[in-house]
This record gives sequence, C-alpha cells and structure tokens, in this order.
Amino acid sequence: MIVNKNILLAFFFSLSISANSQTDWVRWEKSDGSYQIKDNYLDREYDLSIESGSDIIVKPVINTYWFFISDVDGANCPFQPSCSSFLVQSIRETNPFQGIIMFFDRFTRDMNVFGRLENYPIYGKNHFYDPISLYTLDENKIKIIPASTFINE
Amino acid sequence: MKTKLFLILIVVCSPIYSQQIDFNSPQNIKLFADFLFCDKDYLRAIEEYEKYLKVIDSDTVKFKIALSYSLMNDQYSAFQKFSSANNSSTFYEQSGIEILKSLYLLKEDSLFYLFSNDLINSKSQFSNNAQKLLNTSILMTEKKLPDENIFFKPFENEEKIILRKFYNQKLNRPYKSEFAAGIFSAIIPGAGKIYTSNYGDGITAFILSGLLTYLAYTNFEHNHPTRAWIFTALGTGFYAGNVYGSVASAQIFNAKVNFDFENGLKIFLEEKNYFTPTYDLCK
Repeated sequence: MIVNKNILLAFFFSLSISANSQTDWVRWEKSDGSYQIKDNYLDREYDLSIESGSDIIVKPVINTYWFFISDVDGANCPFQPSCSSFLVQSIRETNPFQGIIMFFDRFTRDMNVFGRLENYPIYGKNHFYDPISLYTLDENKIKIIPASTFINE
Repeated sequence: MKTKLFLILIVVCSPIYSQQIDFNSPQNIKLFADFLFCDKDYLRAIEEYEKYLKVIDSDTVKFKIALSYSLMNDQYSAFQKFSSANNSSTFYEQSGIEILKSLYLLKEDSLFYLFSNDLINSKSQFSNNAQKLLNTSILMTEKKLPDENIFFKPFENEEKIILRKFYNQKLNRPYKSEFAAGIFSAIIPGAGKIYTSNYGDGITAFILSGLLTYLAYTNFEHNHPTRAWIFTALGTGFYAGNVYGSVASAQIFNAKVNFDFENGLKIFLEEKNYFTPTYDLCK
C-alpha cells in the first residue's frame, strides 16, 4: 500500500471536519409532513358546566346530539363552525332568544346549496367559514374575508 | 513517511491558500450588498450595507437601507432611516416622499397631514406626488371631499378615470337599508335577503317558511294538533330567523361595500406605489 493507514485516516478526518462544520444545510432539509386525517370530533368542547340558565337545556341537548349522532355520523355540516357549535357559540355570545333565532337563520343558509363558493371563504379543506361575529347585529364585530379565500385551520 | 505527510498537508492547505481575494474589503461588501438588494434579499442587504457604512459614508447606501426597510414593509424603521437624510443628501427629496408613504402606511394620520402639507408647499419635484397621495388618502377617511376640480387637479387622465369611480362611490355608497330588509322579509319571507343580493338564501327562506306554514295549516285542518304545533314552532323559528337574517344580511352587504371600496383603493395605491418614484438602483 502506497499510503499509510493512519495517514489516510488523518486525511479523511481533516476533510470531514470541514464537511461537518457546514451545518447550514439543515434548514433546507426536507421536512416530514403528516398525512394523518384530523379527527374533527376531537375538537368538540364536551362540557356540561352550568354558567347560565340556558345551559341547563342547551348543553345537555347539544352534548347528546354530538355524542350519539354527530360524532357517529361524521362531520357533515358544510360550515365552520358547524351548525350545532354555531348554536352554542351564538347563545354564549348573545342570549338564548337571539341565539336560537341566529341558529334558524344559519340552518336556512345550510339548506341553500347554491353559490357557497361565491359567498363564503374556505376553511381548511372542505368547509365554508361562517363565523358568529357576522350575525350578532354588531357592526363593529363584522370582519369581511373575501369569498373563496383559503383560511388555514 | 515525512514526504507523504508533507504531501497531505499541501493537499489540505492548498484550498485555503487559493482563496486570496479579500472578501471583506468595502468594495466587495458593497458589491455583495448590491447583489442581495437586487435579488430582493433586503434583510441581508441591510446587514452588508451597514458593514459598508462603518468604513465609508454614502448617501446612496443610506437610501438603499431605508428603501430596503420600506420594501420589507417595516415602515417604522423605514421612516426612521428616511428621516435621517439631511439637506445635502442626493436623495433628500426622494426621502421626503418615501417618509410620506411610510406615515400613510403607519396610519399616523396627524403626522401624515402635517408632513404632506409641508412637502406640497416645499416646491420639491415630488410636491405633486404628495398632493396625489393626500387627495387619495382623503377618500379613505370620513373627511369631507374637496370639490371635483380641486380633487382631480394633480392627477393624470388615466388616474382620473379610476379615481372618479371611487370619488362617486364615496359620495354615494350603494348601501342597503337594514330596516327595509327586515320589513321586506317580514312581508314576504326571503324578500329582504333577495334585496341584499343574497338570492339563494332568500329563495331557501321563502320555501322553508312557506312549506312549514303549509304543513302546520294542513295538520291543523286535519286534526293532527301535535304535528301541527311542531310545524308551527319550526315555521315560526324559520320565519323569525329569516327576518333577523335579512337585517344581518344588509349589515354584511354594507360591510362588504366598505371592504370592496377600501380594498380597491388599496390595490390602486399599491399599483401606483403610493405615488413614490421608481428608482433605477440595480443597473
């Protein structure tokens, strides 16, 4: 052998120092994406605490609906928040009377299958964003997001 | 053995000694900074320009630093850097109009109006640009609009055509009455939503209310009181929701009118680069 083993080792060692000193490439590395489908039911706010008079009726009804129907049937509501969450949030935001009327109005929008892309921003992959803040009749809470705009979850 | 070791050392050291260019000379720092600036890598360009300024003072470099901040939309830093330009600077007048742009984007209204008036009266080559930005900004506020002739005076014909649309819209916004929407829906379910151009929801509200009313009526007629009352309750809910929704729909319609107006004006200003001049700094 022309070159001594130790010398060759030292040579490679000196070369490897300069190679390893360049750690800048780490940030350009490919990242491992997650392809796992998110389980929407895990986002449910299961809660039976009584904070107001309306909670005595609304919360058991909604929690029962979520547990026995919605979570079993799957997330079929085209909107975010879903109609049932809309009811809970609208009652929390306003009062039971206004909240229920807001829910009926939301249900009417839910029944209309036409022109959703022209009217709502897109939430996540397959939901239309229709927040409570647009319907409380408080002009200051209205924040317009152009239709068909993608909103990240 | 010695010879081999010597040979290895030469091999290892040769790439080190082959780099004999002084990368840290001011000229090379500036060349690199200019490259970064033209490559729109503004943050790193600023860093290199700052290094250069420690050795050599240059108005162009100072202006480029301020411009980099402005192009990164860090308007506060841009404002500070542009403000540091003194009278003798080559870019003094350009800095003036750039300060105005930064103040506008920072929404510093009182300072903006004060500085714009100063710039207009200073008779600089950008006085007209300042007047254009000031006039356009009035459209965004609740201030009373000046007379047409005064308002459009600084603008060119092409700009006048676009701005006339905004000017007329500002004077007469196509709002829908919330009260009227509610009344329409109370008389004919869904009519209020149709009035606010929400045709699909209007027709749906009409069908739902109509269908449930019909079901309640026929069930009462055929002596099915339980079903009849259920349909009555549902029908009442949908009817009330339709009236409420029409009022909300009119509110949303009006908010969209405002949004479209402001967004359109913002796009116009961005296209015009807030009436700041274009610089040829990447030749």
